[in-house]
Amino acid sequence: MADWLRWTASVAAVTSIAAPAYAAQYMSVEEAQKHAFPNASFTEVQAGRVWKAQGGGAAGYFYYDHVVGKHLLIDYTVAVGSDGRVRRVDILNYRESYGGEVHDASWLAQFVGKSSQSDVRVNADIRNISGATLSSTHLAEGVKKVLMYHASHFR
Amino acid sequence: MPATSASLRRAQPLLGTFVEIDVTDANQRDAERAVEAAFSVVAEVHRLMSFHEANSDVSRLNRAASNGAVVVHPWTCAVLEMAVEMNRHSAGAFDIGIAPALQRTGQLPGGSEAWPSAASMPTVEAIELLADNRVRFLHPSVLIDLGGIAKGFAVDRAIEALRARGVRSAMVNAGGDLAAFGPEARVIHIRDPRSPGRLMCQIEVSNRALASSARRFDPYRSADTVDTAVIEPKTQMPARAAHGATVCAPSCMVADALTKVVMVAGKRAAAPLARFHASAIFVSTDGDIHTTSDWQGVLQHAA
Repeated sequence: MADWLRWTASVAAVTSIAAPAYAAQYMSVEEAQKHAFPNASFTEVQAGRVWKAQGGGAAGYFYYDHVVGKHLLIDYTVAVGSDGRVRRVDILNYRESYGGEVHDASWLAQFVGKSSQSDVRVNADIRNISGATLSSTHLAEGVKKVLMYHASHFR
Repeated sequence: MPATSASLRRAQPLLGTFVEIDVTDANQRDAERAVEAAFSVVAEVHRLMSFHEANSDVSRLNRAASNGAVVVHPWTCAVLEMAVEMNRHSAGAFDIGIAPALQRTGQLPGGSEAWPSAASMPTVEAIELLADNRVRFLHPSVLIDLGGIAKGFAVDRAIEALRARGVRSAMVNAGGDLAAFGPEARVIHIRDPRSPGRLMCQIEVSNRALASSARRFDPYRSADTVDTAVIEPKTQMPARAAHGATVCAPSCMVADALTKVVMVAGKRAAAPLARFHASAIFVSTDGDIHTTSDWQGVLQHAA
């Protein structure tokens, strides 16, 4: 049977570690479009936000949006099929920060125009993280809003 | 070996959290296809095992399995089998029949206002696994939730899908429940469960799985955790032994389930951990950090 060790002395050190920032870049808008509607051509309906996809076997609309909260900013895309249902949701960027940077324009500017291939190592690190389970509720709410917008504009 | 090798990192919202797949050492086109396949597998597990979706196996079981056997997907069966085994080896600390208590804490929809009475709650023993993927509940009030184990299972299936497509190195991370394979070790940072904006520990993972449990947390709204995600089956109340637990095990399904055992049983989880060849770290509610003696992680140093 395993026995336990205690990390008592370390508690003070642990709690003194500065709050970090994490960022991950996954995809560019173009890559996400290609995954959602392969071989389709895209017509911009609303600059930088909404595209109409045609050809390539599947038609629909493609949305680029973000959710921004207290310590989190996520850029994501929603592909909606011609039946009005979600084809897929992709996360393009994930940025988590505890130093107030999420609402700091210069911190955000570091990420603008970066594709998934760009190496981003600024004031944020790409890390693998485990711990308290992150809720994705806010993103689900974002997708719901996109669908409501879609229903009222394009159906 | 292909002349080109690619490194891809993709994320999708699935299983109520963010699922990230990171693939290296395959050519670009094959890597993209493998990642797509792995996400579909995770989505399939979500569809089968979500408490929220009316047509999932879990919902069908909760509606009908006390009236007669219900046929489920072999994957659902595999998860139920492990759930029953884990229940047995953890002296009841792991129990998928805690859905009514999760409804009471607001983590699952529906249910009644009253706390389910611990004495009257049927345990996992009221779940009968029959031949041909049929499942029957022997008690009318059995209500299961696979939230404590299905995420780990999904990670294992995604890893399997990547391997099957010739990927040589990858990691799948479903909101902190993760597994990695390949020649290179991956450094995983573990959040401090008392303050998830901080990092507590780091550990290298290669060809193993790692899972964590703590209170849930949404940095969109706050840096603080919210509800307690783990229920102690015996009392039907939130677990009191630990603020958070991380388990390293051969499979992510086992690691995922064992985190609940540590959250509920604290140091008494030593036997089930050893039984499943797992190691663990947890922060007890008195603030001490405990690790099994075979824990390989190191304290996090400020980056």
